Amino acid sequence: MKKFYGKIISGSQWRWLLPILAFLFVFGLCEFDGPLYPQPVVRLTRVQNERPQRQVDNFNNVDHTTQQHVSGRLLNTSRQGRLVRFSNTFSASGALDTRLRVGQSVFVQRQNGSYQLQDVKRDGVVLGLLAATLTLMALVVKRRVWLTFGSLLANVILLLITLHLETSPANQQLAYLLFSGMAVLFTLVTTVFIAGFSRQAAVIATATIGATALAVALGYGLFNLTQYRDLHIEAMNYVTQVPQLLFFVQIIIGSLGAVLDESNDIAVAVMQLPRDSKRRFKAGMAIGRNVMGPLIAVLFMIFIADTFSESILWLRNDNALTQTFIWVMGLGFAQALVSAFGIVLAVPLTAGLATVTGKGATDEHI
Amino acid sequence: MSTFEALLLALLILMLLVGGKQGFSNFMALLINLVLMVLAVILIAGGFNAIGVAVVIAFVVLATTIFLSTADGNVAATAFVASLLVTVLVLAVILIGVGLAHVQGFGTEDSEELEGYNLLIGVSFQNILIATALFSTLGAIAEAAVAVAAGMAELGTQASESGLTKMGGEIIGTALNTLFFGFFGGFAGLFIWFTQLKYPFWQVLNNKIFAGELIQVLFSMIAVTVTVPLTMWVVKTREKGNQA
Repeated sequence: MKKFYGKIISGSQWRWLLPILAFLFVFGLCEFDGPLYPQPVVRLTRVQNERPQRQVDNFNNVDHTTQQHVSGRLLNTSRQGRLVRFSNTFSASGALDTRLRVGQSVFVQRQNGSYQLQDVKRDGVVLGLLAATLTLMALVVKRRVWLTFGSLLANVILLLITLHLETSPANQQLAYLLFSGMAVLFTLVTTVFIAGFSRQAAVIATATIGATALAVALGYGLFNLTQYRDLHIEAMNYVTQVPQLLFFVQIIIGSLGAVLDESNDIAVAVMQLPRDSKRRFKAGMAIGRNVMGPLIAVLFMIFIADTFSESILWLRNDNALTQTFIWVMGLGFAQALVSAFGIVLAVPLTAGLATVTGKGATDEHI
Repeated sequence: MSTFEALLLALLILMLLVGGKQGFSNFMALLINLVLMVLAVILIAGGFNAIGVAVVIAFVVLATTIFLSTADGNVAATAFVASLLVTVLVLAVILIGVGLAHVQGFGTEDSEELEGYNLLIGVSFQNILIATALFSTLGAIAEAAVAVAAGMAELGTQASESGLTKMGGEIIGTALNTLFFGFFGGFAGLFIWFTQLKYPFWQVLNNKIFAGELIQVLFSMIAVTVTVPLTMWVVKTREKGNQA
């Protein structure tokens, strides 16, 4: 018992508490950032709930709505410190509303002298979790941490540039080309971060771009061959432009990371082997076979889970399961399948390229 | 033939060509996961508690993904144990994060899709979001756990501390790319929307859908990062157990 206790508190184990501290620190800091916002922010000091009202719709869904009388103090603007009152209604399901609690900060809007709830303030949680994640990574990857952060940061910056270029009106016609170009640039920047300027990086980048291009070509070939039967691209969410373009962008960008990840795994392993083409290619294929399944699962779970809320809403509104699957889950599923093409095609492509390119590690030392 | 059938058939052929027997079991894993996800949606819509459904189905998803895609039984067993531990930890983080963030359900940007729907459906969207967040981390957890377990089996017992740290760092680095691009690919439309309508930074940061997406990416990144040391710990503990 004593030994166990001693082990838990002994020196370095404490460091695993750092992510939690980082979260609390940033979360706490954001409690004081109200003055930075142009929009009025209120911290709630009192919340009174009325009795829940039972609601039944024509599909026999039973829900409860509750009205809240809320008061709080303004944290910014020229009226800082003043007490304001407003009301809020929340439902037990909470699709578009939320239950307010004392101590929470919210954005309000001033209309004709009275205040209305606009939205909940979320920066504390978001930035706090970000701080916790980065701290945790720094603890685990140690010296590689700058490389990891640098690669992520470079991608975020590239992303912002793409978005700005894409949404400037002059470039609308070129959008497909622009995004394909950006995908190539994303690949190049990320591979340089992973493998430096090396022959290995060239193999990874070429295989990634090649496999993604092939996968998209195969996907679109099949879409056209089956005349988009049951695939409703027009059902995409958040459409500000042609939905076809958005779907194309989502497919390319979505699979890029996974294909890159896999090509890297294969290339690194194969290029360490001695120069025996047959053995190298076989080893590459074996590694690829092992990683492709889990990688497909990563993207599949992300794309499908994203459709959950809407699917359940559809089913509860008396839509048939097949309708719900086709219209809501279908796009995520198609995206996962085309990405899977890329992940599978990258295996022979990378193994092949890594086999023919460059000498084996043992050769280079001779 | 519908587009989905054509895509599935093409994937099956590709996987058989590239992976042979293992490719086939990978394909089966994908089909089983698809059935499990549809089942989860049906159960939650049918009134079962979303968190309970998520926990049970997560267990099966992890088992399917890990055991059907890993040829080495010992590696798979280690990865499975580690991934269950990680899932429990991540669920705790998700419960706290989702509870604080108020990002369940839909945002104002969704209103076009919601027209004509009754939103008072009597199912907690907060619980649905917890299920969503848990499911979207599972693939990443399974992938990282298998990679670490396989890597350690290859390095053997001789592996040095710095060698292990290097391997872990590489696995995390590449997994982060998968997650970053995967999530961005899922929500590219939303980002274009924000840019096109010129949302200021502070508004994006507090936006319901954006905050919801970002914390989900962070959950996955936390999951992958925790998976690496935890899997190593499981491998070492199992070795000790075998020696004793």
